Amino acid sequence: MFSLRQPKPSFKSYLLPPQQEDKLNPETKIKKLKPVLLPGEIVVNEVNFVRKCIASDTSQYDLWGKLVCTNFKISFITENSVPFQRFHYKNLLLGEHDVPLTCIEQIVVVNDTKRKQKILSHNQKLKFNPTELIIYCKDFRILRFRFDEAGPESAKKVCLALAHYSQPTDLQLLFAFEYVAQMYHNPADKVNGIDPGGGDFCQRTPLFETYSDWDREIKRTGASDWRVCSVNEGYMISTCLPEYFVVPSSLADQDLKQYSHAFVGRRMPLWCWNHSNGSALVRMASIKDLLQLRKIDQRVCSGITRSHPLRSDVYKCDLDHNVPGIQDIHVAFSKLRQLCVNEPFDETEEKWLSSLENTRWLEFVRTFLKQAAELVYMLDFSRRSVVLQEEEGRDVSCLVASLVQLMLDPYFRTIVGFQSLIQKEWVMSAYPFLDRCNHLKRSEKESPLFVLFLDCVWQLLQQYPAAFQFTETYLTVLHDSTRNSLFGTFLFNSPHQRVQQSTEFAIGKNIQLGEEKGLKFPSVWDWSLQFSAKDRALFNNPLYIGKSVPCVQNGAVKSFKRTKKNYSSTMRGMPPSLKNGLVIQQEIMPRRNSLILKLKPEILQQVPVMPSNGFEQYLRDWFSKPADLHGVILPCLHGTHIKIWKLCYLRWTPEAQINHGGFIMAFQRISILASEIELLQSRLRQYRGYPLSNATSPAGEQNRMFFRPEVLHSSNESLDILSSSFPFSPIGNLCRRSILGTPLSKFLNGAKIWLSTETLANED
Amino acid sequence: MEELLLLPGESVKDIAKDVTYICPFSGAYRGSFTVTNYRLYFRSLERDRHLVLDAPLGIISRIEKIGGAASRGENPNGIEIVCKDMRNIRFAYKQDLRTRKSVFENLVKFAFPLNYGLPLFAFEYKEVFPENGWKVYDPIQEYRRQGIPNESWRITRVNERYELCDTYPACLVVPANISDDELRKIAAFRAQDRIPVLSWIHPESQAAITRCSQPLPGVNGKRSKEDEKYLQSIMDANAQSHKVFIFDARPSVNAVANKAKGGGYESEDAYQNAELVFLDIHNIHVMRESQRKLKEISYPSIQEANWLSNLESTHWLEHIKLILAGALRIADKVESGKTSVVVHCSDGWDRTPQLTSLAMIMLDGYYRTIRGFEVLVEKEWVSFGHRFYQRTGHGDKNHADADRSPMFLQFIDCVWQMTRQFPNAFEFNEHFLIIILDHLYSCLFGTFLCNCELQKLKEGVVEESVSLWSFINSQLEDFINPLYVNYSSHVLYPVTSTRNLELWAGYYIRWNPRTRPPGAINSRYKVLLAKRAELQKRLEELQREISNRSTSSSDRGSSPQPITSVQTVV
Repeated sequence: MFSLRQPKPSFKSYLLPPQQEDKLNPETKIKKLKPVLLPGEIVVNEVNFVRKCIASDTSQYDLWGKLVCTNFKISFITENSVPFQRFHYKNLLLGEHDVPLTCIEQIVVVNDTKRKQKILSHNQKLKFNPTELIIYCKDFRILRFRFDEAGPESAKKVCLALAHYSQPTDLQLLFAFEYVAQMYHNPADKVNGIDPGGGDFCQRTPLFETYSDWDREIKRTGASDWRVCSVNEGYMISTCLPEYFVVPSSLADQDLKQYSHAFVGRRMPLWCWNHSNGSALVRMASIKDLLQLRKIDQRVCSGITRSHPLRSDVYKCDLDHNVPGIQDIHVAFSKLRQLCVNEPFDETEEKWLSSLENTRWLEFVRTFLKQAAELVYMLDFSRRSVVLQEEEGRDVSCLVASLVQLMLDPYFRTIVGFQSLIQKEWVMSAYPFLDRCNHLKRSEKESPLFVLFLDCVWQLLQQYPAAFQFTETYLTVLHDSTRNSLFGTFLFNSPHQRVQQSTEFAIGKNIQLGEEKGLKFPSVWDWSLQFSAKDRALFNNPLYIGKSVPCVQNGAVKSFKRTKKNYSSTMRGMPPSLKNGLVIQQEIMPRRNSLILKLKPEILQQVPVMPSNGFEQYLRDWFSKPADLHGVILPCLHGTHIKIWKLCYLRWTPEAQINHGGFIMAFQRISILASEIELLQSRLRQYRGYPLSNATSPAGEQNRMFFRPEVLHSSNESLDILSSSFPFSPIGNLCRRSILGTPLSKFLNGAKIWLSTETLANED
Repeated sequence: MEELLLLPGESVKDIAKDVTYICPFSGAYRGSFTVTNYRLYFRSLERDRHLVLDAPLGIISRIEKIGGAASRGENPNGIEIVCKDMRNIRFAYKQDLRTRKSVFENLVKFAFPLNYGLPLFAFEYKEVFPENGWKVYDPIQEYRRQGIPNESWRITRVNERYELCDTYPACLVVPANISDDELRKIAAFRAQDRIPVLSWIHPESQAAITRCSQPLPGVNGKRSKEDEKYLQSIMDANAQSHKVFIFDARPSVNAVANKAKGGGYESEDAYQNAELVFLDIHNIHVMRESQRKLKEISYPSIQEANWLSNLESTHWLEHIKLILAGALRIADKVESGKTSVVVHCSDGWDRTPQLTSLAMIMLDGYYRTIRGFEVLVEKEWVSFGHRFYQRTGHGDKNHADADRSPMFLQFIDCVWQMTRQFPNAFEFNEHFLIIILDHLYSCLFGTFLCNCELQKLKEGVVEESVSLWSFINSQLEDFINPLYVNYSSHVLYPVTSTRNLELWAGYYIRWNPRTRPPGAINSRYKVLLAKRAELQKRLEELQREISNRSTSSSDRGSSPQPITSVQTVV
């Protein structure tokens, strides 16, 4: 993956070399550098005069500074600025060169002279002094530090400390505990000046910890024959169920208690969601008691049936058989990571497509999307309630249940709705985040199911860019947040574990919990902890302007009429927009969101009569009509439509970055237009005598765009920061071949072989 | 139900009533089948299953009879129409009826008019458009835009009668210090007499892109003093660099092999100050085969399980990558290296225009506008003798002709890749590119009919047919990319990594009903634009109303402040 070759410069820069400022006294300067610490964060070990490598073939851009290991992160502090581009957003919890300990995948130490290399795991001995430290991160970054000028002993200590603290032996050693303890002890402590627990999205995101959240969800979906059940209050029945959940009204608490023993983990059927036609989505664990299997299964199903207005039969979906298991998914993801961080870049180029296929990641993405779409068909078209069955009912069920709801219910495509979906189907349904994210680095049960979920959502987002309130940046930082041990959201295997562990911890730390059930950890939904209001605007999708722009509903473009004549209609026989041999399917294919839609209304009525698989038919019918972005959306499952999530997986790969290009260029334009529309609307409201909505109101923040007209006017250079990796920047976060700035280096990746007489090194 | 509307000059040649169209996606349809001198037109006659298939005959590559023992059933006989635009169309008919046969005989006749002594439809098409596309490209005007002639470059009329080179245009730009006589000598040393001439010049550095065919050193390493001097002049015309780069599009092996046939490449002994770079782009036969494989895996159905590795095995994207990467090197050499370049392949009419025109798009924002792109195609492709007729095989039965190859398609694909990477750098949209490709084959317009300017002149194409640009420029709004921002001075450096290249599903797989039509974002953006216009209008109305009211009724305490500009932000 990485060679031990000494880097040698083979490349001449057009740019000025980094300033050799203050060579006089760099030593004291570096020593004086201080890490920024969060409440409860302590420095474990540090080493001065460390070189952070920026490129793998030259040391000319390397940064000098101090490497610090804390109980939260590995931090590199420098006064040098990163050459060329930098991050375009700032994480308030992490500096530019920081990595949370929970984001570390593997630590490798190297000694050049002894030609030794070792993967450091917990509590290991190290027999040589490292000259180099390489950190492989779970988010596909690779960091490389050199200790040539540093004290060998302190370098070794930092490496060992890092290995120790990034692989804690106990859950309570994760940083969130220390942080929260500090918060309870010193309530005045505020991170970044903001009270944790605040924040706009956070306040409005139902966490489903309470009875009332579930009750409201029942009412919102119109699930009239369902009720909130509190038999599990205090986790009396099951430690992997939420305290409150929803069951068919016809099932009494007493029966539930009795049945619960038959289920794996005592996980009784959990209601997820109701279709407006009355069909319900339910998930449950397997029945382990084979003697009672038939009876209980029947009781439960008939309970669900009775809650359906049509009393239609339940459709059971056996996920253990239908979709890949967590092991396979883990293997696929490992292969994907291997492929994405592979070095050198060129070697993966020629076989990129087949290698990508071999990871099976995209295949799994498709499988899950397809499974979810089939269930959408059951709920929406067949009007049958669906029961998701899985051994424990808390892994792939989470993924499938969320995807189904995302496709069916536009509420979950808003930011608050999406967050509530994750709370409901993942956090409260006891998806074992601790084990699957492998925060303690010792789980045999690691599996990136949640990443797979985000990937599936991303596929839908790129297929229906106007159907979601959030952006792919939002999905990407959400992905990153699962690697940050500050948030309670993704830290535990179940809500019960949070309560139990934190109560235990609180007692040990002498924290008075009062009425609270366990410690209150910061929620990831409190985005103000991580990002400034300005940066949070990157979450807002300019193409999604709620329902306020109803133009594309049902394919009829209402507020916009084309006035200029089209030659197709005025000129005899010129085929409309050159139909030129289009088969009719193409014609009836919705030009989705397109203005040409109404040209062919009569053909849209086509009802194919081919008797075929109902699901296939459902898909075909759905695709033959224009999509209602505020109704059901279904995924395109073609190989050409399932793509690799570049922003997430390839953002650290400089060679794959398009400068001044990528979707962000369109995004920026659309954002500005969306801002202008917002502005006009608020002006209109003002004229009509409504109070002027100001930018600090929730609605204002929610609709605020990162790119606004005034930003554009003020600086043209803002365009220069845009690249396909925006808001991330591959440079300075990876030890790779230098790519810095000039297009020349790109040519190296242009073709397999250059049988050229020129030598790139000595030209110009 | 949709009636067949004939184009001016189009006439119905035959109709058959009871024909079955076998759609690979939704099954068989019964209906009537019409053949005109321009298209085949099928309309289903089944109730509730409307379907119209309307395709120009120009897209037909070959027509095959199918049936016999293999497909005994209701429709034992049929034909399969293999098309140039990545699809096949099947019809079936009952054996016993003779009338059916005649309709297919007519289909063959009008699909391949040249084999039956008939004209291509473009010469019969009589539509009149408000815009005249033949006026889009005027070489003198285009060179003037580039600042030519100047002290180093002159426009020569030596090829006015196409005597110097019969596949070049009449108007050429050459170094000012090279006389017409010398040009004739150089022509003798270049394949097909295609001497190096200027395609584009950098407005600041004066670094130039020139194009030509391979030199003719042959096995004996013959030299031409004039040719060597010529390349030196190209270098001298640009004071910024002491080198000239020769980009040979071919793999070096092929270039060497060409020596045996009298061709070859510029040896560095003979051409001082020149550096030769091979770009490893394969020839027309390799590309044709790659396209064939691509069609095989993408039509009619896609095998999901192995889609990516199947795609890889076609090498289509690899070829696209090599072409783009080659153009990128050229563009960078001109922009960053401020060095003039000479581009050639073997004959200089296939890979060469691919490279020069793509490099020009990267370097010059003008070519990213609709009109500029039309000029580019007219200039680098049509006027410089890309053999459109041979490469597409208009109206000719001989589908196995080894001269057919998707050169122009690859160029458009590369442009599409760039539009994907730079979504607001191009004035035109995806639809524009698809329309151009559709009419590459349709034979409706004269634009892509001939092999070179001379042939175009002889055939009277300009007088007798309509330009594709007439049609496009008469309804520009359909082709506008709403996201376009005119950063004309920006040089585009596309990333040519396989990670950033995609198969153009909107073109290659468009016949599949599950392929989503392109342009969702663009049309959404258009909707938002309309919304903004509407809001602005309403705001202005309100403002007017309020100012009227405030002048009539004297005062209202809480009236909001007047707002003058809606564009500025509080």
